[in-house]
Amino acid sequence: MEQHNRFWRIALLSLPLGVFGLFVIWPLFSSFYYSFTDWNGFDANYSYVGFDNFAKIATDRLFLQAAVNTTIWMIAAIVLPTALGLMLALLLDSRVAGARVFKSIFYLPICLSAVIVGQIWTWIYQPDWGLLNTVITQVTGEKFKYAWLAKPDTALWSVIVAWSWQQTGLSMVIYLAGLTAIPGDLLEVCEIEGASPWQRFRRVVLPLLAPSTVVVVALSVINSLKGFDILYIMTGGGPFNSSDTLAMHMYNESFKKYLMGYGSAISVVLFLIALAIIGLYFRQLRKVDRIYG
Amino acid sequence: MADTLPRTRFNPWPATVFTVLCVLAVLFLLPTVGVLLSSIKTTREISMGQLWSAPASLFLGNFTEVLGNPAVHRYFLNTLLVTLPATAVSITLGALAGYVFAKLPFRGSNALFLVIVAGMFFPPQVILVPLFRLFNGLGLIDTLWPVIIVHSALGLPICVLMMRNFFATVPNALREAAIMEGASEWQVLTRVVLPLSLPALAVLATLQFTWIWNDFLWPLIFTQSDTKRTIMIGIVNLKGQYSVAWGVQGALSLVASLPTLLVFLFFQRFFIKGMTMGAVKG
Repeated sequence: MEQHNRFWRIALLSLPLGVFGLFVIWPLFSSFYYSFTDWNGFDANYSYVGFDNFAKIATDRLFLQAAVNTTIWMIAAIVLPTALGLMLALLLDSRVAGARVFKSIFYLPICLSAVIVGQIWTWIYQPDWGLLNTVITQVTGEKFKYAWLAKPDTALWSVIVAWSWQQTGLSMVIYLAGLTAIPGDLLEVCEIEGASPWQRFRRVVLPLLAPSTVVVVALSVINSLKGFDILYIMTGGGPFNSSDTLAMHMYNESFKKYLMGYGSAISVVLFLIALAIIGLYFRQLRKVDRIYG
Repeated sequence: MADTLPRTRFNPWPATVFTVLCVLAVLFLLPTVGVLLSSIKTTREISMGQLWSAPASLFLGNFTEVLGNPAVHRYFLNTLLVTLPATAVSITLGALAGYVFAKLPFRGSNALFLVIVAGMFFPPQVILVPLFRLFNGLGLIDTLWPVIIVHSALGLPICVLMMRNFFATVPNALREAAIMEGASEWQVLTRVVLPLSLPALAVLATLQFTWIWNDFLWPLIFTQSDTKRTIMIGIVNLKGQYSVAWGVQGALSLVASLPTLLVFLFFQRFFIKGMTMGAVKG
């Protein structure tokens, strides 16, 4: 019987594991390898340069800018989609009329491509006839023509807002799933005992939602690290690299400047950051599991 | 049941909640409505600042322009040629591995499972350069093959996760009974377990189809000539051709999103289930 099982394990696993190993795991380790070379993307020959690429990272002004921007994006990702998603979930969970329609509206953006989302929001920020400036013009009565995406001060935040618009639906769905797991009786008892709506939220609902919060925050942060397409469409990391992120910087160095060795070094840094976040996430999940079982 | 008893939540003001939701819904819909409006307006109207007002007339010229453009046909065909096989392959591979993880566990299989699932959390930039070198060496750059292959491989984490979790809910007694009757594991998988797993397959099909259709990065890296581009890259390429033809761009975005919008409309339930399951169980 054990031999039978072993045969089937190998027979069924070899293909998926082969594909995953060859096209995911192996490239991951190769990235480490290339990060110690000066490969330019075309030549068959390249040489081993030791830690030169990593030393370059330490002095690369653009890398620093990208790292700062990625951090800003991550913090915004923890706050914006999480808070908005929670608010929407709470509102929808109150058995309001038309909850299903509302729900569909809020998560519709998830099924759109980042390319489309980027294009839509580029139009909203369009200086001459974009929605944002049109509204500001109408409210203030003065012609307003600010180029949101072309100014270093606002480019990054404009993209983050657009990205949050898409991400919020996902947070909302996860929070809704968490809310349905809270027994209605419990809240009823709290109400009978005289707890105010705020107390019920702060002392009962929010702690019970902790597992969902862990998931929502982790996913938002991880997705912010992956944010590339929408940035590529809206600003391309510009103007003057003011909205560059690590993912964008890695792409530019590797596929615009063809510094694939250096690009690999950046991707190694990106990998380590992702690994740290995922490690933290899995640990938090286990902790939450232990407390709330 | 629960429907007749108004469940007490911490929102005692249904009317207020409804109003707030309506306002938020309008805000949320605005961007999408903008695209809809642009697609039925002339470029002249839009550049005059008339994009956000109600349309005076229905202008379909943008759509005839987009649908009559042979490049768009090519992009659509390419996207289908990538999306359909990659969706099918990733789900098939996910079912094979998921079956072993659920029904034939072995020492270290849980760790292996976790390693695969963790794959879904890493930014794709981490494997970009080596994959480019690999497919360049194989002479497959500027074909659809690398896009199909990479999507099949990167779909594995979510597919393995979902299939394994679903297979775990199929009673072991079912498998044992079938084996007693002389069925092989392969027959158990294809004749007994898979037919019971249609919901999971539907979830994965909607998720994978949407993600691969919408993808931008992999075709950007692996294809170069216009005849090999997929629709999301095509939109960007056509921006030059229609640089100030905003209405045409709007119609193009709409047409390009139509397949995923339809999938979303008809399979919303599966889509959301997949989103939450993938997220929560990860």
